Amino acid sequence: MLVKRRSSTAARGGLQALAQNVAARPVDRRSFLRTSGLAVGGLAAVGTLGAGTMRRAEAGPTDHSKPIEVKTNICTHCSVGCTVKAEVQDGVWVGQEPAWDSPINRGTHCAKGASVRELVHGDRRLKYPMKKENGQWVRISWEQAIDEVGAKMLDVREKSGADAAYLLGSAKFSNEGAYLFRKFAAFWGTNNVDHQARICHSTTVAGVANTWGYGAMTNSYNDIRNSKTIVFMGSNAAEAHPVSLQHILTGKETNRANVIVLDPRFTRTAAHATDYIRMRPGTDIAVIWGIMWHIFENGWEDADFIDQRVWGMDQIREAVKAYPPEEVERISGIPGETLKRVAQTFATQKPSTFIWCMGGTQHTVGTANVRTYCNLLLATGNVGDIGNGANIFRGHCNVQGATDFGLDIGSLPCYYGLSEGGWRHWSRVWEVPYESLQARFDAVPAKGGRDARTAKENMSVPGIPSTRWFDAATLDAEDVDQIDNIKAMIVFGHGGNTVPRMGGALEGMNALDLLVVADPHPTTFAALHDRTDNTYLLPISTQFECDGSRTASNRSVQWGEKVVEPIFESDNDYAVIYRLAERLGFAEEMFKNYDMVEGKFGMEPTAESILEEINRGGWSTGYTGQSPERLKAHMKHQDKFDLVTLRTLDGAPEEIEGDYYGLPWPCWGTPELRHPGTHILYNPNIPVKDGGSAFRPRFGLEREGQTLLAEGSFPVDSDIRDGYPQFTYGVLQSLGWDSELTAEELATIQRIGNNDPEAMAKVSWSLDLSGGIQRVAISHGCVPFGNGKARAVAWNLPDPIPVHREPIYSPRPDLVADYPTREDGRQFRVPNIGHTMQASAVDRNIASDFPIVLTSGRLVEYEGGGEETRSNPWLAELQQDMFVEINPADAEARGIADGGWVWVRGPEMDSKARVKALVTERVASGVAFMPFHFAGWYQGEDQRGNYPEGTDPIVLGESVNTVTTYGYDPVTGMHEGKVTLCQISAA
Amino acid sequence: MARMKFLCDADRCIECNACVTACKNEHEVPWGINRRRVVTINDGLPGERSVSMACMHCTDAPCAAVCPVDCFYTTDDAVVLHSKDTCIGCGYCFYACPFGAPQYPKVGNFGTRGKMDKCTYCAGGPEADMTEAEYVKYGSNRLAEGKLPLCAEMCSTKALLAGDGDIIADIYRERVVTRGYGSGAWGWRSAYGETVNV
Amino acid sequence: MTLTSITSRALAVLCLGLFAAFALPQIAEAQQINPTAESVTEESLMQALSGDAQVQGRVTIPDGLSTGVIKPGNKDWAATLGGPVRIVTILSVVGIVAVLLLFYMVRGKIRIDAGPSTQRILRFNSFERFAHWLMAGSFIVLALTGLNLIFGRSIILPLFGENVFGTLSAWGKLAHNYMGFAFMLGLVLAFVSWVAHNIPNKLDLVWIKQGGGLFSKDVHPPAKKFNAGQKVIFWSVIGGGAALSFTGVMLLFPGLAGGEAGWQLYQVIHGVVAAILTAIVVAHIYIGSVGMEGAFDAMGSGEVDLNWAKEHHSLWVDEVQSSGGKSAGSAKAHPAE
Repeated sequence: MLVKRRSSTAARGGLQALAQNVAARPVDRRSFLRTSGLAVGGLAAVGTLGAGTMRRAEAGPTDHSKPIEVKTNICTHCSVGCTVKAEVQDGVWVGQEPAWDSPINRGTHCAKGASVRELVHGDRRLKYPMKKENGQWVRISWEQAIDEVGAKMLDVREKSGADAAYLLGSAKFSNEGAYLFRKFAAFWGTNNVDHQARICHSTTVAGVANTWGYGAMTNSYNDIRNSKTIVFMGSNAAEAHPVSLQHILTGKETNRANVIVLDPRFTRTAAHATDYIRMRPGTDIAVIWGIMWHIFENGWEDADFIDQRVWGMDQIREAVKAYPPEEVERISGIPGETLKRVAQTFATQKPSTFIWCMGGTQHTVGTANVRTYCNLLLATGNVGDIGNGANIFRGHCNVQGATDFGLDIGSLPCYYGLSEGGWRHWSRVWEVPYESLQARFDAVPAKGGRDARTAKENMSVPGIPSTRWFDAATLDAEDVDQIDNIKAMIVFGHGGNTVPRMGGALEGMNALDLLVVADPHPTTFAALHDRTDNTYLLPISTQFECDGSRTASNRSVQWGEKVVEPIFESDNDYAVIYRLAERLGFAEEMFKNYDMVEGKFGMEPTAESILEEINRGGWSTGYTGQSPERLKAHMKHQDKFDLVTLRTLDGAPEEIEGDYYGLPWPCWGTPELRHPGTHILYNPNIPVKDGGSAFRPRFGLEREGQTLLAEGSFPVDSDIRDGYPQFTYGVLQSLGWDSELTAEELATIQRIGNNDPEAMAKVSWSLDLSGGIQRVAISHGCVPFGNGKARAVAWNLPDPIPVHREPIYSPRPDLVADYPTREDGRQFRVPNIGHTMQASAVDRNIASDFPIVLTSGRLVEYEGGGEETRSNPWLAELQQDMFVEINPADAEARGIADGGWVWVRGPEMDSKARVKALVTERVASGVAFMPFHFAGWYQGEDQRGNYPEGTDPIVLGESVNTVTTYGYDPVTGMHEGKVTLCQISAA
Repeated sequence: MARMKFLCDADRCIECNACVTACKNEHEVPWGINRRRVVTINDGLPGERSVSMACMHCTDAPCAAVCPVDCFYTTDDAVVLHSKDTCIGCGYCFYACPFGAPQYPKVGNFGTRGKMDKCTYCAGGPEADMTEAEYVKYGSNRLAEGKLPLCAEMCSTKALLAGDGDIIADIYRERVVTRGYGSGAWGWRSAYGETVNV
Repeated sequence: MTLTSITSRALAVLCLGLFAAFALPQIAEAQQINPTAESVTEESLMQALSGDAQVQGRVTIPDGLSTGVIKPGNKDWAATLGGPVRIVTILSVVGIVAVLLLFYMVRGKIRIDAGPSTQRILRFNSFERFAHWLMAGSFIVLALTGLNLIFGRSIILPLFGENVFGTLSAWGKLAHNYMGFAFMLGLVLAFVSWVAHNIPNKLDLVWIKQGGGLFSKDVHPPAKKFNAGQKVIFWSVIGGGAALSFTGVMLLFPGLAGGEAGWQLYQVIHGVVAAILTAIVVAHIYIGSVGMEGAFDAMGSGEVDLNWAKEHHSLWVDEVQSSGGKSAGSAKAHPAE
């Protein structure tokens, strides 16, 4: 027991004086850590690594002469895009400092962001490739892993076709990784490629894009500082996007803004509202139509805006008459007066912004919900300007980018469709013959009464959504509209517990011939099932261990630099995709445009060269101006951007001058055009060259005899002072602007149009690889995609005018009769029998046996499936048990005590989950809430032993999706994650 | 010399726990020791407010008064620190503290407490500044590096303020005037015998 | 903080959960729910605190002690510890030493009036002595290490410095924690051994009336194995010891103590009882050693001088001798000093 006298040096001298010591005497935390054993405690005890294991890099003895290097990357959790400053010494990430300069987070983080350093200490990370052999996990080499996985994929392809392999990608990819994975699917020859956007905002993308052009957040987190009225519906940003609240609460304070929260649950966001309104889960359409009923009734709509920029609002005006206050109260439980107050506030205290998340999107009516939100914004003229807009908070750090780059069963990178035109565009960019890609696809025979389709046709048919992969694996092969069932799952960075009906997922996993999990952690995909063989784990590094760009929710693209080398034997996405492509035989073609460099275990493409290829092809979305150089310059000069406008401040260096931070897409033209990006979409109040634009006319030029082009509204400085269609070479010719194209630009257009004048005239702003058409249009103050009207009515979608539809499992059978779900049908190669399920639930009186509505959501400490965050002791300590929130009245009626164990039972498959009760007024009587980040227990069984030793997350728990149920949006295959029924009893 | 204080603006705090994990990260605080925590009052009810709480570095700190071995001392910046070499883990300071700040590793048998651990205001301990010995026992010494506590620096909504008491009181006062409401300077009465009047 | 206020505090803590539930409007009743306007404030919660309750909330970490966010009452306990408990301890320990000093000066060492005899008589067998010394030894360690917590920082620290004091205190805490169990065992053994002899009876009144003969020569009120004075010591030790044991266990296992207020209550009781018992035991030690000739042998060898025994425990000697001298002395083995 050594006792030291406190030294006199402990007295604090002037801080500035002492600060000088920093550089001279760096603190080596790693060696402190080793000698102190401080990091090891309680549950966090670290299993010793097997002999011969590649250890993560550790600093040697503290060498005070060695400086600390600061690396800049982006948080890998939510979509806010917080900059992370990493202090690195001797290749070890020793400290995290506030990134003061970032206009997005200004130094701050949430619990997840403040603990990301742990991800690359990674005691629970997957340390080397493994496979299951006779039910045991065995360590294998990368060579063996790639060889066997490749062989088995080819085997599956041989027997069941290319479509039998499901390529599940990730919103955790960098843009380059996401793009590469999509390209990999194209070269493999399937559209069965998807990622988390399916289960978070697929309905948003579909609904919003079908309304006004692009499926993305229209404004930015920062811009909410300008709002006067802020509505959250089905969004709990305080937990899901904590740093966004910095902007929102500041705006609330400085503008004395109204913050209205519509949610079944009194969330942490609601706690900061000025008006909290509780609603029955799954009644969004009725609520919004109820609000709009008051708007039209009182003439609060923005008539000028509607006249100039919206098509079909009259039909909406008629439709909402079916939702008078009494009916809306009957459906949603919200009194008419309350909605009148919301209507008046939203329509008159402008600018107003509408924020939604999974509470709106994860429904059988998700796309319809989204379109009603858009309609509310359109009716009140709240899109396309400062402080208003559809502020859709995306979920994961790069879910926007991964969506943009087509990790999607229905599109190619940058939303190019699966039509021949889209494929030909990308084959030009990839410099491979279109026919060679087509040859990779299956020809599907006729079956189940459906017609056969050729490879070319199959190429244009959307794949199976990630919510249904297990149905596609277990349904009768006749019912699956491709050669065979799903036989192989190749899962890169995606949890296995994030989709309802875990019982079905379990059966699906057991049915597969091959399961490959490429992830920093084993995930539920590795632990839930009873597989004994043909199951592989590939250790992938995090985005902190590689370079690449990611797109935040506000469309700003940020470059992250590698902080440390991939730890243990993990490797980055680029390298692994390359090696797999190599084994499958198409690497040479696929990677020919990239700079290949020596990576950790072999050659890999540089992120920069992948991004440059994206720049050469991403015209439709304006992903062409964001060159690696520009993005890096933005990261370097973060402090030169304005906090509110995101535009550069006076005195910014020339390389970024005039830009919006992160060049939010669309950033038109080539990088040399120096378009600044688009902070606020569809904003005609500024010139196009400064980020102005208009609604995108992508649904034709007229409908029902009315024009679909804008009338009397156009961006400032536009040479065309009215609406106009998208720009093509033909349009340029008719305007006489074709002469402004350079010779090179014209040559490119000629090449694309095969020198055929008719084909050349059709070469559009999105197909012109030279960027000339965009450049000329912008030089005339015009938007390349045209100037159209937004659609209040989407005639091509189910329910062109959204109508309220009860959830499949409704607590109100009486309302099911009036508002049934849509008829059964077939979408995305599989049947959707929602209507049958709903009718059966009513017939079986499910609502009386399962009287509590179950909804789900996020916790701030965890993310997604939660394997990564539950493995981080700093986070895991804060949420150690899966729980269900239950109202005190419901708890008392069931003899349930706060903190006690309960069984939550679902209405399908006799499902049940054993969780702790959290008795709280946060949920109304008759409603229960469960967070969705847990896994590792299944129906009361602890599955810790199923994880490879030392990789089990610290905290395990039941997944909410064990008890969630059937229900799919017909437009995107989105699951019903927010409304089902359950019964709860003390365990 | 500055008089360092913490002020948690509960009207900004969203219980995101960044302060908690920032602290864990900065000092490699082990599982089970929570130098900082976020407490939610009226959880789930309108009026709910969350408060991030740690050692408030009290004026006339009661922990120091009850410490049988006199291991506490106050720095020139008014930061209340302690010597783990002298601490015997008796637990008295926990029961004297109005904020539940002192934490004890569980060591040995029957709930015996190890040496007390608490928020250092990122100012280390008695050992020489920014040395390994100091880091191992108390964590990093940001104050000596000219930085403020990481919990406050990383606070997602800038709810948790750290710095000279007068300055952070001014910031808080200005916010309350701007927005027209304020739930108060939580803990100030107990810690500093005063509050922030607006 | 008085003991009653500590008790009321314990109750207040129990009631606080209820308070929180009633203090605010429920969601269903309000027309417009404006969480911003309805926000709790520090001031209102602090004012609403009754007794020594805490401002409490919910935390996600599984640590019940961390739910209190502001606990103004803890400062009161700190003040109690630094005030009343400290004063009682000082008064008790300094006071008893002063009293004994005075007594010694006035009365001097109490001699055997008849002078030492050559015969000895077995007063305490080895089991009894083991019990006594187990208790006594542990008590001395406990008392010294306990006193160190009160006085150490004002006496030992300035005298010997942080090094010595820190080491001493750390070992002292360990010793205090473990010796407590030895003390408890000794306490049980002593109780079992002697409780039958310590039932108060009429003789005790006589003994007390005569002041035990302590204050005058040649006065020896009759007594059995234990006289009234010793019974007082016995019951003080049993009672005080039991109180210390119980509160000590509570302090060692805070989880059992019923929250912070409970722990604080036990801590104050522990401190005050310890101070008083220490004073009593100091008196006991005095009379059993320097204060009275021949007394120490009872717990030393276990055999006492017959004359001493006759003077102080006449009835017991009669009993022993009439019962066939099975406790007869062994003059040979232990010649008179």
